[in-house]
Amino acid sequence: MTARQTAVAANANLKWIVNSAALLGRRVRYDRQQAKWWGLVWLVTEELGLSLRAAAAVATVALRGGSSSTQVTAGADPSGSASLIVDLARYESFFLANLSRALVHETPRRRGRPPRRGIKGDALATARHYGVDLDLIRSAIRRTPAERLALLETNAAFVRDMRRRTA
Amino acid sequence: MSFASMLSGLTKKKVRFVVVGGVAAAAHGSSRVTNDLDICYDAEAVANIGALASLLAGWHAYPRGVEKGLPFIMDDRTLRNAPILTLTTSEGDIDVMDRIAGVGPYDAVRQHSERISALGVRFRVLDLPSLIKAKRAAGRPRDFDHLPELEALLALRKNQ
Repeated sequence: MTARQTAVAANANLKWIVNSAALLGRRVRYDRQQAKWWGLVWLVTEELGLSLRAAAAVATVALRGGSSSTQVTAGADPSGSASLIVDLARYESFFLANLSRALVHETPRRRGRPPRRGIKGDALATARHYGVDLDLIRSAIRRTPAERLALLETNAAFVRDMRRRTA
Repeated sequence: MSFASMLSGLTKKKVRFVVVGGVAAAAHGSSRVTNDLDICYDAEAVANIGALASLLAGWHAYPRGVEKGLPFIMDDRTLRNAPILTLTTSEGDIDVMDRIAGVGPYDAVRQHSERISALGVRFRVLDLPSLIKAKRAAGRPRDFDHLPELEALLALRKNQ
C-alpha cells in the first residue's frame, strides 16, 4: 500500500498520521494493519476528543483480539462507572469500505502537472495525437444514447466472460 | 449481472441518483468499455439513503478488492459514513458516491445532468462538460487518459 492509500483506508489525514507517529515515537508503516489501527486512533481522537496517547491505547486494546469479537471494552474507570466500548463489527465495516476505496480508487498519481501534448485549444488534434479514433467517435455520435448503452452492455458482458474464462 | 438490472433496480426502488463515470461517458459516445456503474445519490434525504442501503444489502454488496468473508454491514449507517463506496454485488460492480469532485454534491450533479432512456429504464446522466470537469478534478492517471476522447466528443458535438 502507498502512503496515500494507507491514509484513505484509515480515513485520516496523511500528515496527521506522520505527525502523530512522531509524537507517539512509532515508526510509520504503510500497510493494512497499520491503516486499521490509525483509523481507530483518528476516530477516537477526532470524534470523542480523547488525547492521542489515550486513543492509541484504546485502539491497541480494541484491535488486540482481531475480528473474532464484536464489542470490546477498551477502557473503564476503576469504579466501573464509565467505560469506552468499541463496536468492532461496525468499525470493521467502516474500515473495509475505506480500504476498498483506497485499493480501487487511489491508484498512484503521476507527479507534477499532467502531460498535455497536442495542439493547445484544438481538442480534435490532441485526441488524434493520443491515438483516439475520431471516426469511431463520429459513428458513436450518430447513434442514440440507448443504442450506445446497449452496445456498452454487450461489450461489458463480453469482457466479463473473457475474464471469467481466463481466471 | 448487467447495467440494465442495476439501473432497473435503482429506479424501481425510487432511489434518487445520477449516473456518472464510464457509463455516463458511454451514453455521450465514448467507446471505452467500463465494467462498473458509478452513481451519485442524494445523501441529504434520509429515505433515499435507506432505500439505496436496503437495495445494496439485497444485492449482497461487499467492498470490492477485499478478500471475502470479513464482517461487513451494508446499511444506512455504513452508507452515511463512507463518502465513496466501491462495491461488488450480485448484479454487478457499483460505486456509490455522495458527491463528485469538480461538480459538487447531488443537487449540483443533478443540475448538470440530462435525462435519457436506455436499457429499458429512464434515468439521469451527468452532462459531458461536467463529466470532463469531474475527470480532471479526480486527477488519477486513468481519468487523465480518458480526457482527450471526451474533449474530442465535446468538440465534435459542438460542431454538429
